[in-house]
Amino acid sequence: MRPAPHTLGRRPPVRLGLAAAIALAAVWAATTLHLGSSSFLAPGGLDAVSDFLARAITPALDYERAPPPGTEPLLWKAFRAAGKTVVFAGAAMTLALVVGLPLGLLASSAWWVEARGGRQGWRNRLLAAVAPAVYAVTRILISMMRSVHELLWAVLLLAAFGLNDLSAVFAIAIPYSGTLAKVFSELIDEAPRDAARALRGAGAGPVQVFLFGLLPAAAPDMGAYTFYRFECALRSSAVLGFFGFPTLGYYIAASFENLQYAEVWTYLYVLIALVIFFDWWSGAVRRRLT
Amino acid sequence: MSEARPHLELDGVTVAFGGTPALEDLSLSVGRGEQLALVGPSGAGKTTLLRLLNGSLRTGRGSVRIEGVRLETLSPPRLRKLQTKIGFVHQALSLVPNLSVLQNVVAGRLGSRSLMSSLRSFVLPRRDEVERVYDLLCRVGIPEKLFQRADRLSGGQRQRVAIARALYQGGTTILADEPVSSVDPARARATVELLTSICRESGLTLCVSLHNLALARDYFPRLVGLRRGRIVLDRQPDQLGKEQFMKLYRLSSHELRVRP
Repeated sequence: MRPAPHTLGRRPPVRLGLAAAIALAAVWAATTLHLGSSSFLAPGGLDAVSDFLARAITPALDYERAPPPGTEPLLWKAFRAAGKTVVFAGAAMTLALVVGLPLGLLASSAWWVEARGGRQGWRNRLLAAVAPAVYAVTRILISMMRSVHELLWAVLLLAAFGLNDLSAVFAIAIPYSGTLAKVFSELIDEAPRDAARALRGAGAGPVQVFLFGLLPAAAPDMGAYTFYRFECALRSSAVLGFFGFPTLGYYIAASFENLQYAEVWTYLYVLIALVIFFDWWSGAVRRRLT
Repeated sequence: MSEARPHLELDGVTVAFGGTPALEDLSLSVGRGEQLALVGPSGAGKTTLLRLLNGSLRTGRGSVRIEGVRLETLSPPRLRKLQTKIGFVHQALSLVPNLSVLQNVVAGRLGSRSLMSSLRSFVLPRRDEVERVYDLLCRVGIPEKLFQRADRLSGGQRQRVAIARALYQGGTTILADEPVSSVDPARARATVELLTSICRESGLTLCVSLHNLALARDYFPRLVGLRRGRIVLDRQPDQLGKEQFMKLYRLSSHELRVRP
């Protein structure tokens, strides 16, 4: 029998309406924020900006104003701050990986479907009963960790624990664990499952199926993403210096407040060099992995 | 284990997927060391039958026995233990693409290992494990691929790795679902010859589903023809007339009609 053409599931013309709604939202946002030609610069702002940018070609190699005797040289201080930035980022990423990996596993539907398999038995029936709850709770937990920015976590943790190095590490690690878990779960779910099924059919247990059938296919992308997040952690670690942690941000803020723009540029260049170096390094590793 | 008992046995098995029957009241017994080819049009239930035989699919009605043990009554750990004895060569390429051939073959024995020892054999395989895998790769004709990544191999080479993995399990049975559907005719013939000769030498029971009737006829002493979930023929190839093949493959007017 020939079905009538209008029953074939053509979608109603929603796209046009959607586009119009987005355009309206944009106009409304612009008028609410008074985005006009007049409201761009603070008085004297242009001078400050050009002053700041002018120093970009002459970053400071030594202090602009003589420091108290016994102060370490500027460049040495910049390098030490860079080292601290890497240490904070590294510690936070390590923690985020340790927490994010199991969370990502629990938040992936592939783990619940493929590794457990369609087997019978009381243990599996119990698992099947709790699985939806564990899955849902994990996803909610991940969203909560992710939706609060690391700077907000830093404010919270500073209030609770004071200017403790661990506060900074946790402030980065909590939202990063959530992001890693979310992306890991998606990568695991997208990985081909044929191999996992084959191993299960050959009598492998659920953890073995997951570790050897499912995880290896997702691992290169998971590794590459972890490297990318490490770069982000470097930036976050530097910014946390604004709260008083001894990373690059701390010195950038101090020099900026004293209007020592040449010093600001020194620290900025060190940060840029750091990010470029890790970008190059992660690129090299990614090329080897995939 | 008494020799009188068939090695693999299906008794009055019915399987349905969402109301559509895939197998209907089907009975089949396969002796130890026997080699049989399942033939029939696609959708006849060949894959379903093979998946029943390795316990990855459960019957709706009827029973599946392997070495006299009913699969339906087994606890998951005991079912896994039984599954370690059954190697399955899949239709889809079921290797882990970014692991080496060695690691893929070693994975065949996961079911009989603890988690720690399987981790060890993945990361640091012992010398005797590597040599055993190398021997198997020699037998399937690709020894030089031992340390290559699986995704660098051709379709035919991957199929050979899958066969080596099934053999590495060290079981009693090899099941293969369309093992030559992704390779050219000459290689298909070579692969089927390889499978049958290895299983004959080692006394393994072999069940293979094949699209290619000529191959099935040339290499298997027993053909089982499936059509719409039922066995329509079961005999030796030299007893088969053209008529019976026609009966197997001729499409009925019902099947030719396009469904809405």
